[in-house]
Amino acid sequence: MSEHMGAPDEWFIAALAGFRDMTTARLRALQAGRSAHEAYRIASGEVEPPEAVAAMFQRFGGLRDKWRASARGCTPTSVGERCAELGVDIVLPNHELFPAQLIDDPRRPAVLFVQGDLHKLDARRVGIVGTRNPTRSGAQTAARFGRELADEGVVVVSGLALGIDGAAHRGVLASADGVPVAVVANGHGAPYPKRHAALWNEVAERGVVISEWPPGTAPDAFRFPQRNRILAALSELVVVVESRERGGSLITAREAGERGTDVFAVPGPIDQRSSAGTNALLEDGAAPATSTETLLMALGLDHRRAGRRRFESRPAPGATGTRVLELCRAKPHNLESVSTALGVELTHAAMELARLERAGWVAEAAGWFEAVDEYSEFV
Amino acid sequence: MFASIPSSVLLGAQGHPVSVEVHVGKGLPGFHVVGLPDESVREARDRVRAAVMSSDATWPDIRITVNLAPSQQRKSGSGLDLAIAVGVLAASEQIPLDSIRNLAFVGEVGLDGSVRAVPGVAPMVGVLGDRDLVVPIPNAHEALVVAQGRVRPIGHLRELIAVFNDLTPWPDHDISVAPRCVTPVPDLADVVGQPMARRALEIAAAGGHHCLFVGPPGSGKTMLAARLPGLLPSLDREQALDVTMIHSAAGVELPPSGLVERPPFRAPHHTSSEVSIVGGGSHSMRPGEISLAHCGVLFMDELPEYGPKVIDTIRQPIEEGVVRVARASLHTTIPARFQLVAAMNPCPCGEGNHPGDCSCGTARMLKYASRVSGPLLDRFDLRVQVERPNVDDLLHGAKGETTAEVARRVAAARAAAMSRQGRLNCELAAVDLDQFAPLTSEALAVLRHEMERKALSGRGYHRIRRVARTIADISTPGATAIDEPTIALALSMRTRVATYPGLGRAA
Ligand SMILES: [Zn+2]
Repeated sequence: MSEHMGAPDEWFIAALAGFRDMTTARLRALQAGRSAHEAYRIASGEVEPPEAVAAMFQRFGGLRDKWRASARGCTPTSVGERCAELGVDIVLPNHELFPAQLIDDPRRPAVLFVQGDLHKLDARRVGIVGTRNPTRSGAQTAARFGRELADEGVVVVSGLALGIDGAAHRGVLASADGVPVAVVANGHGAPYPKRHAALWNEVAERGVVISEWPPGTAPDAFRFPQRNRILAALSELVVVVESRERGGSLITAREAGERGTDVFAVPGPIDQRSSAGTNALLEDGAAPATSTETLLMALGLDHRRAGRRRFESRPAPGATGTRVLELCRAKPHNLESVSTALGVELTHAAMELARLERAGWVAEAAGWFEAVDEYSEFV
Repeated sequence: MFASIPSSVLLGAQGHPVSVEVHVGKGLPGFHVVGLPDESVREARDRVRAAVMSSDATWPDIRITVNLAPSQQRKSGSGLDLAIAVGVLAASEQIPLDSIRNLAFVGEVGLDGSVRAVPGVAPMVGVLGDRDLVVPIPNAHEALVVAQGRVRPIGHLRELIAVFNDLTPWPDHDISVAPRCVTPVPDLADVVGQPMARRALEIAAAGGHHCLFVGPPGSGKTMLAARLPGLLPSLDREQALDVTMIHSAAGVELPPSGLVERPPFRAPHHTSSEVSIVGGGSHSMRPGEISLAHCGVLFMDELPEYGPKVIDTIRQPIEEGVVRVARASLHTTIPARFQLVAAMNPCPCGEGNHPGDCSCGTARMLKYASRVSGPLLDRFDLRVQVERPNVDDLLHGAKGETTAEVARRVAAARAAAMSRQGRLNCELAAVDLDQFAPLTSEALAVLRHEMERKALSGRGYHRIRRVARTIADISTPGATAIDEPTIALALSMRTRVATYPGLGRAA
């Protein structure tokens, strides 16, 4: 007889979610009409598998042995206690806190691991996603949407990835009562990417961090598209800020589309790779996201926001500087392109750019200059 | 009987005089070579014996002892063959001793008696003083460049025997070398657009700065690098001799004149062995690519692909201008004062120069960045982003300036630097910068700002000032103080390399 007799249901499911090669579909097949405890005993090999599960073992050779081996390290008690240690709630679909938007989802998660209060999802929700390698302008836009939506009480859902996701979360955190929500592809307890460890903790503290997998699960590549479906399902509308032709955020957009969720995309220069995906979305009928007002309107919220005008402390650039700044606002420029566009010597263009940078009007990365707005610090 | 024949051997790019002492006398027939010959020299016995017999001469079937003096020095190579053969002939009285007075011999002999070329004749001949020199015909042009005495090209041992026995005069061989199918020197006019990269090349040429091009595939990095030698002045006599010695020692084909007069361009592939790049390896310590690039340009394409060992080993020659090579108990130094031009992709996917274009993940990016060490990157005064030439330029762009036009400015800038400080700007000592490269207050403010926001290290600060000095020497010869636009351009030619966007700043 199993030694885990007294463990709560969710511990059994949590442990099962940590088995090797476990998928949402397999987990649901194991559970079909059975108690959590029974499902665990089947997967761990304590009892003979029923017909459906036996057929699955037949189809995927080695699965049976992998699960048996997993059961030795991944016990309900070990997983349950680890979650308690990390302050992670294990939420099953029958739990009152399980997000309503996911209950009827065609690929409903079998379990969620949650840091933070799921009640916070009971608000208007916008998903902001995009590439890990954005332009500065893209990251600033994500931060702007994040902050301004949060100012209006909208919950912003993103994925804690580098680039657009991070900027969106940071923008939300900059709003006094902003509620950031992150759906992640790995387990709790080992933030990924490492550079976002602090951000992860802040999001968990102020908002919610949701994973479909138990603590310690690695950020394997195949988990990201699955994460994206949850992100899409939790959002009332999804904004893709920047994405290359085959970026992961396009998967989120597709998942959103399949769920009837409106997809917005930020238009970008036609020769910029990080806008190729978003421009393609626009061609396919996504709505252009040109301002926070557009998004608020789509949510049916009052969009007459009081303009937040920041006192401009930067010294105004001279005539040439202004022309250079205009170039850098339109798209990233380098020394060569500025010198060509203005028809001035390289040294002269270099000086103008350096002055703009010193005054905080533009920022440089790898030789490319982009205009800086008040959201620059969140990039 | 006894004969002593002057010859020489090669170590690295250096000749060392050797006396080949041959004694023919009583005792059991035999042929012994003593005096630290290595395997390649011991093989001479079989060649020399066959060559003598193929030259209508007699092999003395008595005891022959060859001593190579000085005896404590290791000898290698086949260049002593000819001297040993002549020594045996003289000691066995088949040629009169008188006839070989004041002659030295360098060359390999074939089994058929023919006299064959060897690498390193220029440095070997260089240490033989004012003697007349007997050398293989294909080596005559390089021997002529360095010889103080007459050069006697010879094709066959039989010819020598006839000359020494007064049967014929010295043969009059045609020693002209067919010019190589010369690939025309690539011209800067072929580079369309790319004003930044062109300017960087000009600055590199004028100041002697090491230069790194960072750009996506197809941005013409190799094309640019190959155009640097054309911008450099011809070698002076001393440099030309040094370079000729090295090229001769490495067995690299020399120009028809025998003298290397233009700065060499060497581009070893990253798959080349460490020995072939750095030098050493064989007993004669063959010069490597970095020495072949002495007084010229060493181009390393795909810099991160070179082995860490190679990267590590070239740092010392970059500092000292020579490379130390060692093998077993042997060691020597070979000149290797080259101007380094390297090229690399900004990141594994190649598109990371441009904001939003990179598709590399963090892990790939960090791995890539770790392959180019900070200490090596720091040697490049110029680190320039190059972009693919834009399509309009390719289709309608006016041809840029020619190499000749730019080379004139380069020469003027180099002359200005030499007359001001007696050296190129890349060699300006940090303590001399305030004297030779003073800054206007605006320019100083720019640098101070960069240092305050930690975008510039102390070493970077000095390198920027050297580059700025060169920019000023080109654009406004005679200007003393370096102004704000000049320092701004110098700063923009020191781009960060292989950093993940947003990874933070470092110089
Ligand atoms: Zn990349």
